Amino acid sequence: MRASGVRYLLGQGVENIWKNRMMAFASFCVLMISLLLVGISVLFFINITSMVGGLEDKNEVIIYLQEDTTDMEISDLYGQLSRMDNIAEVTFYSKEESFEDLKSSMSDYEMLFDSLGDDNPLIDAYRIRVADISRMDETLAQIGALEHIEHVRAPLDLVQILTELRRIITMVCGVIILALIIISIVIIANTTKASVFSRRAEIQIMKYVGATNAFIRFPFFVEGMITGLLAGVGALAVTWLGYDAMIDLLTQETTFMSIFGMTSIVPFEDAVMPVTIAYLGAGTLFGALGTVFAIRKHLNV
Amino acid sequence: MIEMRDVSVVYSGGVDALHHVNLRINDGDFAFVVGPSGAGKSTMIKLILKEINPSSGSIFVNGYNLNKLRRRRIPALRRTIGFVFQDFRLIPSMTVYENIAFVMRVIDAPPKYIKKRVSYVINLVGLSDKARNYPNELSGGEMQRVAIARALVNDPQLIIADEPTGNIDPEMSYEIVELLQSINEIGTTILMVTHEHNLVRQFGGRIININQGQIVFDEIVGGNLINES
Repeated sequence: MRASGVRYLLGQGVENIWKNRMMAFASFCVLMISLLLVGISVLFFINITSMVGGLEDKNEVIIYLQEDTTDMEISDLYGQLSRMDNIAEVTFYSKEESFEDLKSSMSDYEMLFDSLGDDNPLIDAYRIRVADISRMDETLAQIGALEHIEHVRAPLDLVQILTELRRIITMVCGVIILALIIISIVIIANTTKASVFSRRAEIQIMKYVGATNAFIRFPFFVEGMITGLLAGVGALAVTWLGYDAMIDLLTQETTFMSIFGMTSIVPFEDAVMPVTIAYLGAGTLFGALGTVFAIRKHLNV
Repeated sequence: MIEMRDVSVVYSGGVDALHHVNLRINDGDFAFVVGPSGAGKSTMIKLILKEINPSSGSIFVNGYNLNKLRRRRIPALRRTIGFVFQDFRLIPSMTVYENIAFVMRVIDAPPKYIKKRVSYVINLVGLSDKARNYPNELSGGEMQRVAIARALVNDPQLIIADEPTGNIDPEMSYEIVELLQSINEIGTTILMVTHEHNLVRQFGGRIININQGQIVFDEIVGGNLINES
């Protein structure tokens, strides 16, 4: 095809948006709302997961050491714990520190502690934080295999609750997102079908005068792509503004912040690249493919 | 040239639309195809455009053996045929000029040639002053002339006009047939489907009468108008 032909078809694609502006606007709105539904659900899922992650990060396992463990052995143990891949943080908690903390937490019983004199009945310990709590059992087994361990205290109830919570959230969000994707595809397909149906005579004339299917599809493809791209830009703008407004609201909510911590909310700037690519990519793809699939039926003339 | 050899069409519902039809229309012919509704006229057109395939028999159109023509070659066949619809089928969002020019763009004609040729055919159908008008600003007769110009612009070997006078007043109908005849005089084969017997009687020429899927009459008859002139 000559360059003037390609320019003509590209021009037709752009021109058709204006000529069929009502249907194009309907497609734009449907695409944007579909993208928003899916996009917001994904962002909600990311944040919920991050919040659960914030709670998980608060896990603490205390490893009590045997009373006769030497300083050298305590130091060796630190090395061994630090090298374990699922341990994110290791802090030594000496029996002196532990005793002081106990005294300060039980200040009413000062007499009792005084009667002990220099005797400290407590033992040295390591406080560790596990990176992935779903692998808690495996990590505890590794710790249990080490020498000089008296016993280990792990927040198994919390682990169980959080693991279950994460599983349920992933499942529920997964189902919702999948359902929204399917609903969006159905709505997009129907809107583009309606848009194409209103121009079936045009397609039929082209077929009768000997236009190839590619020639007929191309302007529709361009038109769908541009509408989809604009819908992606619209969805991105709405999400960005809405998301920032939501973060502003939540940061003012002190109770929420004290439970989950500020770091558990994913700032939009962190997600802007994947969100932009997903919105623009999905918008363009659905817009273009939706139109091309919708005209398929009308090409059988 | 159109040639049908022992062509039958039976639709999936068992309807016998065409029954052992033999027909030959030579290059440069002008033929009326007449017959009542459901006689098989539309089926015949669909076969010529390869919109459907025959259940049996062979069809040759403008040098193409339609029985062997691959799907992707159908556009090439259709570029040798101009088609005029009863309801004009002009694109409402395009001007008269654009409606005609776009069929030349379909065949990837050079822009300069498109300009020259479209102006020529618009002039030929007598609508030079309406080139910038939109279809809704034209009368029925004018719209049909645009449709004929569109069918003619790619210089096809054959023009099929399917009830071209069905939606216009009788006076205008004569003008349309006269226009088709003048196109025929420059060498284009014309196949005009109609059920307006008065019109056919007036003009005369080759008349192919189809009834119940069979050709019941195929003769050249003298028309009143032709006799008068």
